[in-house]
Amino acid sequence: MARLTLVLLLTLAMGGCASVMRSAQQGLAGQLEAGILNHDDPETVRSGLPAYLILLDGAIAKNPADRELLCTSAKLYGAFAGSLLAPGERAKLLAKRAWSYGARAACAGDARLCELQSRDFDQIEALLKDTESTDLPLLRCVGESWSGWIQANAEDWNAVAEIPKVKAMFERMLVLERDSGDGNVQLYLGVLNSLLPEAYGGKPKQAREYFEAALTRSKRRNLMVHVLYAERYARLVFEQELHDKLLNEVLAAASEAPGLTLINTLAKERAKVLLESGKDYF
Amino acid sequence: MHSLNTIFRAMGALTLSACLLAAQAQTLKIATLVPEGSGWMKEMRSAAAEVKTATAGRVELKFYPGGVMGDESTVLRKMKLGQLQGGAFAANEIAGVNPDVQIYGLPFLFANKAEADQARTKLDPMIRDGFLAKGFVVLGITGGGFANLMSTKSIATMAEVRNSKVWLPNNDRVGLMSFQEAGVSPVVLSMSDVYPSLQTGLIETAGNIPAATIAFQWHTKLKYLFDLPITYVPGFLMVEKRAFDRVSAEDQGQLRSIIGAAFVRMNELNFADDQRAKEALIKQGMQIITPSPEEAKAWREVGARAIEKMKAAGMFSAEVLQAAQSAMGKSK
Repeated sequence: MARLTLVLLLTLAMGGCASVMRSAQQGLAGQLEAGILNHDDPETVRSGLPAYLILLDGAIAKNPADRELLCTSAKLYGAFAGSLLAPGERAKLLAKRAWSYGARAACAGDARLCELQSRDFDQIEALLKDTESTDLPLLRCVGESWSGWIQANAEDWNAVAEIPKVKAMFERMLVLERDSGDGNVQLYLGVLNSLLPEAYGGKPKQAREYFEAALTRSKRRNLMVHVLYAERYARLVFEQELHDKLLNEVLAAASEAPGLTLINTLAKERAKVLLESGKDYF
Repeated sequence: MHSLNTIFRAMGALTLSACLLAAQAQTLKIATLVPEGSGWMKEMRSAAAEVKTATAGRVELKFYPGGVMGDESTVLRKMKLGQLQGGAFAANEIAGVNPDVQIYGLPFLFANKAEADQARTKLDPMIRDGFLAKGFVVLGITGGGFANLMSTKSIATMAEVRNSKVWLPNNDRVGLMSFQEAGVSPVVLSMSDVYPSLQTGLIETAGNIPAATIAFQWHTKLKYLFDLPITYVPGFLMVEKRAFDRVSAEDQGQLRSIIGAAFVRMNELNFADDQRAKEALIKQGMQIITPSPEEAKAWREVGARAIEKMKAAGMFSAEVLQAAQSAMGKSK
């Protein structure tokens, strides 16, 4: 990573032409993302990542409309705030930054998607109808950073009120993906459909179908699918057998998987906590 | 001597059995529709931890959130059978046990939280006594906020509400008689059917507190809020008396005090929370319709007439209503 930083700093210092710089920064961002996602020690990432995030802020300052850079930064800030920090003011602050980059990426990628935060639900639904499969990376970037902000601000009604917009976005992604996805969209929809019990209009049966689809599409390698399936669905419907089976599968599985090692390591940590607290919960 | 020995032996046996009883942990299984992760469940789990510590593990509260134990009638049946010991309920859900509980939700009875708090100083003890007589111990009562009418179309007048398709929850006799007095023919649906019915247009108007409107995602369809608080929305936590009696007197005191304090806290937090939810609704584009003084007066008159009819129909005890009104300085 230090070498990558050096490459970026040198590139900046050289004051090369804009396109070369952009390309180098995007390259760095992509490699940084890969390095982080494949890391097996959350603590190293937790302590090392902030410096790189600031570096990305600097790169964005130079290239404020670089959609890919904005999306990578949104993703890394979102991952840091949502998965590596304890809930609190700092997590909220950084999730907000992730979402602001996501929203800027939307605007940079498609002028119709500017000012998303101020659109009402009907406007968002109408905008989504016009999106195509080529918009999927952008929708994913926006949807994930937006949900991360909601998650970090779950006690604020202003954030909770945005849930239907994000849900509509993932539902649209599901349509556009057809059979091509890795299960991530289904994972989000599983969580979003597990928020309310059936008596209040929630759709736990649908949530279960989404989680099952996410398991299949991720070839059961993304262990966070198991964890969220257990935590959000199995607890909602009080199915201890399913809860424990999913979590024990996580503990028995290997963490290492391309692009999933960090998240799997975190999933294992969470699975232990859930199995323990499950004894009191059920 | 022989008799003394017998007495000592008997005393020893009694002491021993008392010790065994005390050592035996009592688990009170409590069901609720409220989902895990909600503010209410967080407060209840924190109170449960406090109870466990204060009773040195002799009393445990185990929650079944999210309606996993069934609807309110199923929960009440399971409480009678001893499969559950407690439940959290809305007023209309337990009106079959103690009809006086409907008084909290009478239309326009309380103009604001201060009036409700004042009335409850007299009302709550009478309601608790009523449930106790039916074999239930009420551990906590809290106000959740005030319900407003919200609609997909502008509803500035009573005539517009009459022309709208208005939702009414199942088993809500107070709501039914109030709407009938206003000339409204409501559509009775379960809570889970409200959102799809708003989508299809089967209903256009629904009453609820702002926080629930957001939590249930109804705000994506409801665009107008008629700014006249119609009814107070209370919540109750009660346990079956036989189960409560198995807890020692000292531990009963801890339960009452800890749960009671949590409900007092929630009573304050809920109203502030609901105000924030209302502000969030406005930010989401919901339009606030302020009724004219004449409209507001007309609605309140409808409420007063409906209350008189409910009283005449014997839906609740006139004495309990009188006590609540007198506490607010509104007695006739």
